Amino acid sequence: MVRILLRFPEKIVDQPIIAETILKHGIPLNIIAAHVDFHGGQVLAEVPSQDIEKVVSAFRERGVIVTIPKLIEVDKEKCIHCGSCFSLCPTGAITINEDFSVNFDKEKCVGSSCGLCVDACPVRAITLTREPNLLVQNSENKKSV
Amino acid sequence: MFRRKQMLGKDTRTVAEINEKIKKGDVQVLTAEEMKKLVEKSGVEVAYKEVDVVTTGTFGAMCSSGAVINLGHSDPPIKIQNAWINDVPVCHPGAAVDLYIGATQMSETRPFEYGGGHVIEDLISGKEVEVRATAYGTDCYPRTKLRTIITKDDLNQFYLLNFRNCYQRYVCATNSRDETIYTYMGKLLPRFGNATFSGAGALNPLMNDPDYETIGIGTRIFLGGTQGYVIGEGTQHDPKNLSGTLMVRGDCKNMNTRFIKGAAFTKYGTTLYVGIGIPIPLLNIGLAKKTAIRDEDIHIPIVDYGVPARNRPKLGTVSYKELKSGSIIINGKKVKVSPLSSLKAAEEIAETLKAWIKEGLFYLSAPVERLPRDTEYKPMKQSEETVLVKSVAHQAVTCREDEKIEEVAKQIIRYSVNHVVVVDELGKLRGIVTSWDITKAVAEGKEKLADIVTRKVVTTQMDEPLEAASRKMSQHQISALPVIDHNRKVLGIITSEDIAKLLGRQQNG
Repeated sequence: MVRILLRFPEKIVDQPIIAETILKHGIPLNIIAAHVDFHGGQVLAEVPSQDIEKVVSAFRERGVIVTIPKLIEVDKEKCIHCGSCFSLCPTGAITINEDFSVNFDKEKCVGSSCGLCVDACPVRAITLTREPNLLVQNSENKKSV
Repeated sequence: MFRRKQMLGKDTRTVAEINEKIKKGDVQVLTAEEMKKLVEKSGVEVAYKEVDVVTTGTFGAMCSSGAVINLGHSDPPIKIQNAWINDVPVCHPGAAVDLYIGATQMSETRPFEYGGGHVIEDLISGKEVEVRATAYGTDCYPRTKLRTIITKDDLNQFYLLNFRNCYQRYVCATNSRDETIYTYMGKLLPRFGNATFSGAGALNPLMNDPDYETIGIGTRIFLGGTQGYVIGEGTQHDPKNLSGTLMVRGDCKNMNTRFIKGAAFTKYGTTLYVGIGIPIPLLNIGLAKKTAIRDEDIHIPIVDYGVPARNRPKLGTVSYKELKSGSIIINGKKVKVSPLSSLKAAEEIAETLKAWIKEGLFYLSAPVERLPRDTEYKPMKQSEETVLVKSVAHQAVTCREDEKIEEVAKQIIRYSVNHVVVVDELGKLRGIVTSWDITKAVAEGKEKLADIVTRKVVTTQMDEPLEAASRKMSQHQISALPVIDHNRKVLGIITSEDIAKLLGRQQNG
């Protein structure tokens, strides 16, 4: 699965674009996080890797800004388990175990669409990386909604 | 009393007796964590009878740390005036080739990312570092320039010498501002979005011996993975406020980078994580009771770091038990809280020290002088008064949101200002409009004020130091700040012009 960030500008936010895309292409999308109001919307979704190019171009045709968020990478050798990152994580991807070791759950992380923890790590064990082997380019317009 | 004496054999122990037991291999050692459990289960008397030593630990960012090095003499010799290691300026406090690497000194080429703390870590790990130095040259020290690559093996002395470490307890930090701030207490999200704390709570060394019965000059300790010493109380030692500190020394050449680490706090600077563990010999039953202290018994204030003043507002108190649970309540809201010191490493340190003592690798030492218990921690004497916002604040030109742009433009001309503060019917802040916004609106044919108002306004308060307000303006690249009270009612405005005028007056006066 690959995570994609969909941004819906104000003028198209009232259209059922996600539903229509799923129906038209028969590709399942798993929505991880979403924030939509009448000014626009932002949806983080998971797409099967083999369908990524088809899905991205389908959304772009409808005027959706598509980016592939970078992923959070934790260098376990560097991590000193201080927990500085823990309170910054809005998705619960970072937890502290009973023995006070810090645990990172990649599944719950929304990557560079959040990224709050990256500059809080005092030993710089947290970095953002691109999904390897990905041919799809990010949209030009990177202005956040 | 007689019966208890019989039960315990004897009322007190000495360090020498404990060392004898270490030698024989039958010393009883528990970590502070284990001691608390034993006391809870079996009571203080049994615990005192069974346990000789309790080990403690902490591993946190300790900025007042550094290392002394001696390079040996070059040929021809140099009396170093300025020096850098890996581009980090290092201080030259004494004769020719002694240097002090301060943990918070930052690299001139990679500031905020690499600093003195990292140099110390790199040297300990055996890496090569580049030393550069300049000097004015004398008859006895003719050399004026130096560049050399060294490792720790090339140094005569390389020891950690920390002025203030191991705070007994510290505060919990949060942030009331509308923006994220970066502090030595870590990254603090806007509007009390998170909180941070430091210190190991009930595992902290000084917390387990709060009357400093066994800690003082000459106490042998775990320091950075090897044996080091307490050499006195640290700077800002504040015993009456349960905030004692330590000055420590240890041989860096034997340290382990697992327990001593360079660190960078974004937009604050670099520092050093230092691992310290202190063995508390249970010399009397009182010490057994003290080492049973629990996280729920240690309380610290929640402090608003959003207010850039020495006396930051306190928003309540919390215990280390609550802090270690992962969330606390601030203003009725549940807030996630981060430890900044590694509690995992703190436990590891206590465990390691316990193992050393049990294996006969570490003997206890009685202090030749205990840490003082009566010193005061005073604020700085400032011979020049701090200038506050109120000394330059003046009445703001205000308008309501439903006014026409044309009307606001007239106000700007009439009062000859650049900023008009938008308020509601109660005088509370709604936004701000600048003459530039008005010009742009006219150029773009906009008529409604509501379309051009900036609503996310950076503000100040009457009793904020002017320097802090001025920093806000330059950070946000703006030239005015509305002055508001706690209910967001607009009391006035300050502009960069006001500050420039004040500086001009000060310089001329």
